[in-house]
Amino acid sequence: MYTSLTNRRSFIKKMAAAAAMTAAATMFPGIVFAKEQEAGIPSGNLDWKKGPCRFCGVGCGILVGVENGKAVAVKGDPNSSVNKGLLCVKGYHQTMCIQAKDRLEHALVKKNGTYVKTPLNEALDLVASKMKETIEKHGKDSVAMYTSGQSTIPEGYVASKLMKGAIGTNNLDCNARLCMASAVAGFLTTFGADEPMGCYEDFDYADYYVTWGNNMAEMHPVLFSRMLEQKNKRGSKIIDFATRTSRSSAASDKSILFEPQTDLAVGNAICYEIIKNGWVNKTFVEKHCNLSKGLTNMGYGLEDNYSFTDKPEKINFEEYKAFLEDYTPEKVAKISRVSVKDIKYLASIFGDPNKKVMSLWCMGVNQHTRGTWMNNIIYNIHLLTGKISQPGNGPFSLTGQPSACGTAREVGTFTHKLPKGVVMNPEHRELAAKIWKVPVERIPAKPTYHTTEMFRAVDRGDIKFIWTQVVNPLVSLPRTSRFRPGMEKDSCFVVVSDVFPTPTTDVADVILPASWHIEKSGLYGNSERRTQHWDKMIEGPGETTPDAWMTIQVAKRMGYGDLFPYSEENHVEEIYNEYRQFHEGKKHGMAPLEVLKKESGVIWPYVDGKSTQWRFNAKFDPACSNGEDFHFYGKPDGKAVIWQRPYEPAAESPDEEYPFWLNTGRVIEHWHTGSMTRRISVLHKAMPHSYVEFHPKDAKALGIRNGEKVKVSSRRGSCVLPASINERGLPTQGQVFVPFFDENMLINDVTLDAFCPISKEPDFKKCAVKIEKA
Amino acid sequence: MKKRLGIISLFIILFIAFIAVWNFSYQIGKEEAYIPFERSTEVSSIIPSEKGVFERSEHALDYANMPVDENHQRSLKHYYDNRAYHGAPPSIPHPIKDEMTIGANTCLKCHENGGFTEKFNAYAPVVPHPELVNCRQCHVPTNASGVFRPFEHRSVVAPKAGINNALAGSPPIIPHQIQMHENCLSCHAGPSAPKEIRVTHPERINCRQCHVPNNKEMTDIGTFKRAISNE
Repeated sequence: MYTSLTNRRSFIKKMAAAAAMTAAATMFPGIVFAKEQEAGIPSGNLDWKKGPCRFCGVGCGILVGVENGKAVAVKGDPNSSVNKGLLCVKGYHQTMCIQAKDRLEHALVKKNGTYVKTPLNEALDLVASKMKETIEKHGKDSVAMYTSGQSTIPEGYVASKLMKGAIGTNNLDCNARLCMASAVAGFLTTFGADEPMGCYEDFDYADYYVTWGNNMAEMHPVLFSRMLEQKNKRGSKIIDFATRTSRSSAASDKSILFEPQTDLAVGNAICYEIIKNGWVNKTFVEKHCNLSKGLTNMGYGLEDNYSFTDKPEKINFEEYKAFLEDYTPEKVAKISRVSVKDIKYLASIFGDPNKKVMSLWCMGVNQHTRGTWMNNIIYNIHLLTGKISQPGNGPFSLTGQPSACGTAREVGTFTHKLPKGVVMNPEHRELAAKIWKVPVERIPAKPTYHTTEMFRAVDRGDIKFIWTQVVNPLVSLPRTSRFRPGMEKDSCFVVVSDVFPTPTTDVADVILPASWHIEKSGLYGNSERRTQHWDKMIEGPGETTPDAWMTIQVAKRMGYGDLFPYSEENHVEEIYNEYRQFHEGKKHGMAPLEVLKKESGVIWPYVDGKSTQWRFNAKFDPACSNGEDFHFYGKPDGKAVIWQRPYEPAAESPDEEYPFWLNTGRVIEHWHTGSMTRRISVLHKAMPHSYVEFHPKDAKALGIRNGEKVKVSSRRGSCVLPASINERGLPTQGQVFVPFFDENMLINDVTLDAFCPISKEPDFKKCAVKIEKA
Repeated sequence: MKKRLGIISLFIILFIAFIAVWNFSYQIGKEEAYIPFERSTEVSSIIPSEKGVFERSEHALDYANMPVDENHQRSLKHYYDNRAYHGAPPSIPHPIKDEMTIGANTCLKCHENGGFTEKFNAYAPVVPHPELVNCRQCHVPTNASGVFRPFEHRSVVAPKAGINNALAGSPPIIPHQIQMHENCLSCHAGPSAPKEIRVTHPERINCRQCHVPNNKEMTDIGTFKRAISNE
């Protein structure tokens, strides 16, 4: 009896202690988590170095454990407010790919059809002389550079300076065109200023998360976990609006499925309901919004040299209301297969003035032949209800790549961009010329090739030299069935900088060995405008060299040495300090490097030593100057634009011959084209190859069993993959889904190179295919 | 005479016809009895189902806040000992009151959500597949000791806890197959979870964000190989 009593007493005591501890743990789970992870790491001479994660645009802070010059462990950075110590499976194992046996350690030059190991200096000589020779023979616009949303800020900056400032061509674009261009066009048309107004802290205040065609559980897992935490703790609700039932749908409070492309109509129906039920925030709309319409029936950019310029025209509220009459829930339910009840439910979430709502989207909205319109429509919903730029309330456009914001969008590695502004604007050209110390006439005022058109130009023979960095276009472009033979042609000299061999290095004339992420210093900028710096953590193997330094070396060899006076040891710092001058001021001020070295990332605009978490809101943003609560200072009159954007069908819809929609995307285990993650054994074993997902009813009708090989073909090409039924995801009936990471099963041979005419971003989510047993 | 010959030949014809038909149908029957078994030559799919991946997540905070009852913890050894081999359905280690009832009325009362049972002085393990209610289709009691005839059985080597990390401190991979137990929390959280495999952070319900299957039990698929390479 006696023993049992003490047992009970100590049990109760322990219970109380444990309860207190776990209560603290659930309040700050990430922080406790990182500590606990550390407990599993043997104590040694581990040196923890901070940086941002290499995989995805969330921008989690990581700490890499370095022992005797080798990266041996990775944990989440508890000081980073992004992830609070938590990572995902890719993040935890990221450094393992460095040890891959087929790492590109030396420069390779193709001689008589075989690759010959060449000293890096010689290879760079060859690249520079080829580039120079091509310009002399065929003009400036015959050379091009194609970079990446995974390039660091210095890498993007020197690429832009070399092409636009030194050579004087706008032939520079990057793979962010394939993922973020519609988001950018959406921001610029609606607000006149790129990148989200809110930040990740919004997650902690929102009552509803509406995800538009976005499988965050796999693509933005750390942010999704933040949502799940709020769901459990505060009862926030996740509404999944998608064309495929995914892991995110399983965790959501409501999953609403729609027919591909009809999101435009459903978005307009939500606006219709908001106006009809009197849920419009009238003072907000009157004070802070204009209404406009643009051209319609824009086409799909399928033909070479297609061009389009929108012609905005102001409208009044009555005209907009009349336009929405075509989008009553009853009419939209017919084309979208979303029930009237669900459309009204969605509208009521936004309409409730007492509920804070976050909209979240990524590739479903952006990779869309009407991607700019779809971005505009989501902003319309938030502007009509005034749910924007406040903690917990706002549209949040997520990015895919670690520096799609920091490099592609802010440094501006697009054909039309400059580090500040666009090439079309003479003031912006002048600023660039001044900082770069080049004559202003050298920067051409006309944009040239966006990504799809750039590779079409390679195929046509217009581009005779192309240098790709940090990118694998022959897996990631749409319609690789055209672009692979295009790049194989002798008419174009192909230089590829990469870390591992890929289908793109396979067609290269020169392969340059790049340093991996932690083998160099750099800066990334994530989805919430957070700039993050890291110092080189370990030495790379062989002659591997940072991409920025290889670009500088080529520039010097071409005779532009005076424009690139950077030192090998300190170039990252020197370049960043030069770049910062572009963004001075309250609207986009970047934090000084000393601050970035200390902190786990800092959000811009960084004004008077403080991050601006909610832009355009006078309470938080010192750049607001109109004396009102909100100031959309990106537009000259300080007002955001509500755009009248109709529903238009997809570029290619299923028909009798090609009866299925093809949707492509990612899986949690692999990063984009898998060139890194497939070399991490843990990730490869969890997801060894691609597959094609069917709805069980479609599979039954076709007589296809799980695992059976099937051939997916379109008018462009075909691909053989194993069928997957009821595994990772469940597409709607009449649709198949294929992850694009697998270079051995190239689904992009099948996809269509149609793009949004405004943003020029291709639609990887919709084309027509037929299915046969292979 | 002619008539008799006619009758005999008719019978002979009938007899021959009978043999022919019988033979034919016998052959047909033989063919039909053989249904060729098509063995798929492809590597079987190893991507596990997402079914049930977030089930029981509504209890996650309760699990996190639940104190550890150290006197009644199960061990991994105990967990494995209750199975014929690793991966086999566990046997029923306690007496059963009523042989006539199945599933929902009896077993699930304790095993759907678990909880302490005074009578057995233990926490009831939580079933990862409560939708399958014909429990005793797979789970049988142990009503006798010893064996009918001695036998040799080489058991599957059961995975060990604490050695499944790819890097020091990285989240352990899932070292077992997860068919029928896709729902992680039922075995890895709560007071009935074996102490070696009880998760310290049940509130992080998106388990496969960090822990991915690496199923050596099914097939070792080796490392990534490029199909086409110029090198």
